[in-house]
Amino acid sequence: MAEKPRLKLPSEAKKGDVIQIKTLIPHIMESGQRKDKEGKVIPRKIINTFVCEFNGKPVFTANLEPAIAANPYIQFSAKVDESGTFKFSWKDDDGTVTTAESKITVA
Amino acid sequence: MRQLTRRQAVVLGASGVVVALAGWNGEVLADTKAAAEEIAKFTGGKTAEKGKIAIELPEIAENGNTVPLSITVDAPMTAEDHVSEVLVLADGNPRPGVARLQFTPLSGKAEAAVRIRLATTQNIIVVAKTSKGALFTEQKLVKVTIGGCGG
Amino acid sequence: MTLGRILTAGVAAAVVVVAGFALQANDPAVAKDKKAKAAKVVVPLDTKGDASVRPWKRYDRWPTRDMAKYNTLAHLASPPAPKEPRKLPEGLTGDPAKGAKLVADRSRGGSCLACHVMGPAGGANLPGNVAPDLSEIGKAGRDDDYLFNYINDARVYNAETVMPPWGSHGLFNDQEIMDMVAFLKTLTKPAVFKTELDDPNKRPAPVEKRDNLDPLENPGMWAVEKAQAMWKQAGANGKSCNTCHSNPTAQFKTWAASMPKWEPRLNKVLGVEEFITRHARATMGTEWLMETDDNRAMSVYLHFLANGTPMQVDTTSPGAKAAIARGEKLSHRKIGQLNMACSDCHGIVANHWIRGQWLGEPKGQLDHFPTWRTSLQTVWDIRQRFQWCSVNIRGDELPPDAKEYGDLELYLASLNQGQKLSVPGIRH
Repeated sequence: MAEKPRLKLPSEAKKGDVIQIKTLIPHIMESGQRKDKEGKVIPRKIINTFVCEFNGKPVFTANLEPAIAANPYIQFSAKVDESGTFKFSWKDDDGTVTTAESKITVA
Repeated sequence: MRQLTRRQAVVLGASGVVVALAGWNGEVLADTKAAAEEIAKFTGGKTAEKGKIAIELPEIAENGNTVPLSITVDAPMTAEDHVSEVLVLADGNPRPGVARLQFTPLSGKAEAAVRIRLATTQNIIVVAKTSKGALFTEQKLVKVTIGGCGG
Repeated sequence: MTLGRILTAGVAAAVVVVAGFALQANDPAVAKDKKAKAAKVVVPLDTKGDASVRPWKRYDRWPTRDMAKYNTLAHLASPPAPKEPRKLPEGLTGDPAKGAKLVADRSRGGSCLACHVMGPAGGANLPGNVAPDLSEIGKAGRDDDYLFNYINDARVYNAETVMPPWGSHGLFNDQEIMDMVAFLKTLTKPAVFKTELDDPNKRPAPVEKRDNLDPLENPGMWAVEKAQAMWKQAGANGKSCNTCHSNPTAQFKTWAASMPKWEPRLNKVLGVEEFITRHARATMGTEWLMETDDNRAMSVYLHFLANGTPMQVDTTSPGAKAAIARGEKLSHRKIGQLNMACSDCHGIVANHWIRGQWLGEPKGQLDHFPTWRTSLQTVWDIRQRFQWCSVNIRGDELPPDAKEYGDLELYLASLNQGQKLSVPGIRH
């Protein structure tokens, strides 16, 4: 699944603001509970970790289980005291990591 | 000494005993042994105080495949005192784990929203841990609707 | 002024006017459009092939039942309704405990609870209210004969009934029906609901509040981007949509709101999805079969471009009128093993709960298609919706490009005139 993650967060804020960040990544989140037509279990394949950093410092991390719905939506907050770059990363069970970035100007 | 809730008693007394906690009026039974074990691991066996957590869920989920869930922990988020980790469980799913959310002072607020899968009507249980070692918990029942024609 | 000067001035004015038009028509897209309208261009459509896979194969993960023995929208096959109630089989007695399980068994066509509140049956868990509350039927003075026959085939008492012919159509056998009769006779007290939400008469009708055009709320919106990329893809003959339609945002502001439409060359009603297949094939040599991701994405996009436009389909031309009349008739045809018509659920018993789902009326049912389905994490167009309705009531579906579906879609559109498009929708 090479579809790009989607982000919604402001590009500007005032110092000390707590902003809301919405993220969504297309992903089947195969739970490992489903069976195929022959009755064989379809192996689990999910995004198991989401990390948000700001200027290199961790802001928020989520460890996900198969109970997270397909196309995982993760919304959280961040307090911004300086301008900089948010880095987001999603780690798949198979080890691949998808990343995205967003800059913010903080006055 | 606070009155122990039944859940707290389970957490303290869980030693391989299967405890069925009534989710609702004795009819919606959930085998919370697996959930209780997860909670015990998270809290290190300590009791969690009920409160400080707001759980937002639809009263009836339109289907079990994607249910919006919002969690807010009423707590400061300073370097000295902040919510560090939140455990989210669904006690009626094949496995109770939903997510572990790790907050930092940079989170600003201990709040998050996700969309979850629910196998059936059940309780969402949230346990929050702070950097000072305090533990809070809350739970909410969510009904998963039943399809019309049997599918 | 002399005549000469007046004429010269007139010509000059005319030249200015013509120049004005030329400036307007500088945008080649608009010019092509105007030229097309002026020339009454017949839109290229493939008229030879099918617009969906042949032979038509049911979707994966749908029930695999073969219901050829029962009516579909394309053919009649169901056995005729009995004329007389049956005599109860000799010596048949029912077990109410077994009956209690059977009435709640969803694998038998939804279970009685889909339509009836039935006292404690099924834990009174979100029963529906399409049909009468049977919680006190044990006190209603109905004898076994009556109850048996009502379940077996209610048409012997009411020819217009919505109640499926559970016995006549082989969903339950005589013993099972008798078990259910025995259970019904134990029902003498109103149902006790755990919450107000379980009581269908107190459950509030659902209101869709989500922002369906927000890509973080509605993954259906990603189809718009996908289609925008498809727009520029060259087909087998080197042309893309963009070749003739270089400004889709301007050119398709209202088109989808005028669909579906009667197409005389094919002698059927074409919806947007089938139009896409036939037009892409004819103009670019591109295959975008109905019920493929590509086709659905393009249908989402073409509807999306007309969002906010009130639906306005042709209902007056002879072809359209005849199609709508056929569509209305089809909406009344009882189909499937459960023997139901569109007009049963979405007419006679509309605005009621079928188990935990709300049955809507036809108005408002088309303006959000194609829609994202949250329970399936995929986009459905209206034809797939028609197909599922059939399969769900245990009837066979038709291929998505069936002419009957076209008639039905145009009839449904005629009931939705003026509804503003908002696509992609988001629904369970």
